[in-house]
Amino acid sequence: MSNTDDNLIHMVNQIAANLSGGRDDDTAASATCRHLETFWARAMKKRLAERVQNDPTGFSPVARQAATLLAERLSERQAS
Amino acid sequence: MIEHFDPRRQANSVDFSKDYGTPAARPGAASVSVNIDGVTLSVPEGTSVLRAAALADISIPKLCATDSLEAFGSCRLCAVEIEGRRGLPASCTTPVVEGMKVTTQNERLAKLRRGVMELYISDHPLDCLTCSANGDCELQDMAGSVGLREVRYGFDGENHLEKPKDTSNPYFTFDPSKCIVCSRCVRACDEVQGTFALTIDGRGFDSKVSAGQDEAFMDSDCVSCGACVQACPTATLMDNSVIDHGVPDRSVVTTCAYCGVGCSFEAQMKGDKLVRMVPYKGGDANHGHSCVKGRFAFGYASHPDRLTTPMIRDSIDQPWREASWEEAISFAAKRLKAIQAEHGRESIGGITSSRCTNEETYLVQKLIRAAFGNNNTDTCARVCHSPTGYGLKTTLGESAGTQTFDSVMKADAIIVIGANPTDAHPVFGSMMRKRLRQGAKLIVADPRRIDLLKTPHLKEAQHLPLRPGTNVALVNALAHVVITEGLEDKDFVAKRCDTDAYQSWRAFISEERHSPEASEATTGVPAEAVRQAARTYANAGNGAIYYGLGVTEHSQGSTMVMGIANLALATGNIGREGVGVNPLRGQNNVQGSCDMGSFPHELPGYQHVADPNARGRFEAKWGVALDDEPGLRIPNMFDAAIEGTFKAMYVQGEDIAQSDPNTQHVEAALRSLDCLIVQDIFLNETAKFAHVLLPGSSFLEKDGTFTNAERRINRVRKVTPPVAGKQDWEVTQDLANALGYPMNYAHPSEIMDEIAALAPSFAGVSYEKLERHGSLQWPCNDDNPQGMPTMHAVNFPIGLGRFAITEYVATEERANRRFPLLLTTGRILSQYNVGAQTRRTHNQHWHDEDVLELHPSDAEVRGVSDGDWLGITSRSGQTVLRARISERMQPGVVYTTFHHPGSGANVITTDNSDWATNCPEYKVTAVQVEKVSQPSAWQQRFSAFDQTQKSHLAKAQQEAP
Repeated sequence: MSNTDDNLIHMVNQIAANLSGGRDDDTAASATCRHLETFWARAMKKRLAERVQNDPTGFSPVARQAATLLAERLSERQAS
Repeated sequence: MIEHFDPRRQANSVDFSKDYGTPAARPGAASVSVNIDGVTLSVPEGTSVLRAAALADISIPKLCATDSLEAFGSCRLCAVEIEGRRGLPASCTTPVVEGMKVTTQNERLAKLRRGVMELYISDHPLDCLTCSANGDCELQDMAGSVGLREVRYGFDGENHLEKPKDTSNPYFTFDPSKCIVCSRCVRACDEVQGTFALTIDGRGFDSKVSAGQDEAFMDSDCVSCGACVQACPTATLMDNSVIDHGVPDRSVVTTCAYCGVGCSFEAQMKGDKLVRMVPYKGGDANHGHSCVKGRFAFGYASHPDRLTTPMIRDSIDQPWREASWEEAISFAAKRLKAIQAEHGRESIGGITSSRCTNEETYLVQKLIRAAFGNNNTDTCARVCHSPTGYGLKTTLGESAGTQTFDSVMKADAIIVIGANPTDAHPVFGSMMRKRLRQGAKLIVADPRRIDLLKTPHLKEAQHLPLRPGTNVALVNALAHVVITEGLEDKDFVAKRCDTDAYQSWRAFISEERHSPEASEATTGVPAEAVRQAARTYANAGNGAIYYGLGVTEHSQGSTMVMGIANLALATGNIGREGVGVNPLRGQNNVQGSCDMGSFPHELPGYQHVADPNARGRFEAKWGVALDDEPGLRIPNMFDAAIEGTFKAMYVQGEDIAQSDPNTQHVEAALRSLDCLIVQDIFLNETAKFAHVLLPGSSFLEKDGTFTNAERRINRVRKVTPPVAGKQDWEVTQDLANALGYPMNYAHPSEIMDEIAALAPSFAGVSYEKLERHGSLQWPCNDDNPQGMPTMHAVNFPIGLGRFAITEYVATEERANRRFPLLLTTGRILSQYNVGAQTRRTHNQHWHDEDVLELHPSDAEVRGVSDGDWLGITSRSGQTVLRARISERMQPGVVYTTFHHPGSGANVITTDNSDWATNCPEYKVTAVQVEKVSQPSAWQQRFSAFDQTQKSHLAKAQQEAP
């Protein structure tokens, strides 16, 4: 998988799938978002946030919610 | 500077250079008083008279006794007189009793001993002066000690002097003409190594040591651990290096640089030449045992392939040019600065080495964070045990195994999951086998029937041959049985674990879909076998889990680690000896490289980069502002390189081009770099893509510390000067200075002092303290000044243990019509990791190529015979290996190793990875296998590229003035 966007989406889908067990979608999405914040590099987070805002296809529902949450938190952080 | 210190001179303990004749009595035994030759002393009950005398510095002659083996009583040389007892009992087999009075020397005993020696010598070659053991021979010493002056029987009678030598083993020679049939070698093979390869054949005068069924050593079951060679009191079993170079004259205690067991060795020297590595009896990890790699495979350090001069070039299509250290370092620094100026601060990064010392690893990540100004640091643990870090930190609060190795001797049931200790952690494997012989129950969860299941004198063993990729389904089924059959330790859970997390996990795991019956179709393991295994573990008393890369290197590696922790928490198997969660680490310093802050999100001591308090302390000490965002992981670096945003890399002691998955992807990434700086002892596969080549130093050429799989920090001591003039930490320091970030360490001990000041779990560690204690297991701080052998005894670093929900998510890598088989990868005993070291030793005799193991039924369907060339194709690539048909495999699963670069095992592995850590899924690749007649296209390209790069190097070396 050479396309970076596809790769990032694949990873976030995988994280969301693994963090969904025993959690409702909102909790799973925020756990996924926290995982991205804790472990992903700045450039990867930025790129994922841009992608979900411009083209939310390819994401699983929880992953899309997590990526959207990440995008919101990044722009909040930028604003402050 | 720290003076050389010899831990053997410690006053407070036994002298590890002395042979006490029989092993120490069990710790905690009551004391008994005994009088030996008028000296009264107290010794623990169970101590032999021979050992008691040795403790009082009274030496009783002996031949068949040595303190690494149980007493045998065959040579009769150690006979003594005991007041009130008849005859002359052997002191090795006689335990002391209260008030015993012993005489070790008188005329009667002297006559008996001379008689014994006279018989031995009548059938022994009198070639002491030209014998390889001259000066290091117990028979010679005893002849002197008993005052043997004549052999009345003459030498013409029947004897064994013409017996031919066995030189089949490349590392030692067996000369039966010198054998006194003391059985020490046989007992060492049985008791210490646990292989049972040797025996005494025949009776009486015909008795002789025999490997297997009178085979040559190399044809027998012998694994060449060398325990027999070490135990032999004469020149019968002798290191070839001593035969060639003579008896060593000095020794330095240091730590092996092979696997994560971290054995202590005496490096025995003659001048600057390393003659022999002898496992150190005082080593806390190995207690005087070793394997074929640690003891014998050290010749790579003086191999002609060693890089001795820095090399530089502008592009990888050009030949190398030799350079001075100054020129090469300044060339590298200029390029790094120019790339950052053009492409930004985050366009460069580096990889720390799990083979280098803690101090060197710490320095590389410091260079990246402080001098590069970003967090693009990662390490080989990314591709092996990163899920251990994530999984154990989440559940138990600390990223490390919970026990000492010795703890296994108190385990009643041992679960081994995805690990192969007799091959990959052989010295610990031997200890585990010892415990299994004593009756501990064994449960192995592995697609393959590993050798541990063939342990001689194994009592009860269960094998759960699961399908690759279904670990989490299996561990959930085990936990389901524990909960639904009421086998959990309710008190432990109530006292030690977070209740909410436990309740939600309990509800999750109790669901019928996790039952062994429901998961049987997924795992392939019969439900009843899973139930039995869960009962065995939960009811054992002490249940211990050991695991390896068969757990971590999966798309759910982290989930599986948490599943293992759940199982241990639920059964209360945490926090005392004999239990625990034990990751078996691959490389010598994988634990250390993780501890030292090699990961992009964590500063040394597992402190997150976003934590302002922790970061603040580092900023104050290092004098720079640090990035508060995690950096790129290794696979992220590759992706960014291919995309063009990541341009330069500093790689110390790590061969990513061979060890990382999807080789063609890695090669493409390395080719797209503008500056690759490789620091290694050889021109490894990664170095062939480099612009700057900095010669590394082997473990024999440096000072520092390694941390093994039981969190044990052990000293590495320099025994010879670095071949290229610099220890690895000095090179990193030079690069930092050239980049304008000052580093001025005079000795690695100063680096350790800085680590202690910044990483809380290392706060109490110093070289001075390591010298005093020999080794320390972190955490070592004010609360635990002498370290912590068993973790989580009172509480967890996160307070309460946290159960984690472990949903099974099947891997996307599935067998289908196009790729009907599953490939899994692993290690073998004689080779180590990418093989750069062991391939340059005689270990090649055991494994000179990687082969594809497959089950007879899979072979038959494809018309494959043993030795056929097989093309193995996955969606990533194709490679060609020879077939080996093996019953160890289950049908549908094939297996290979990656010790030889041309094998291209990683050309076929994919870029699938663990969801939490991106640890590659090496253990599951869907493949097709078919007979072929020529190497794959990749192998042909590899071979051509390899030739070109080697000639580039040779040319530079020829042109050098």
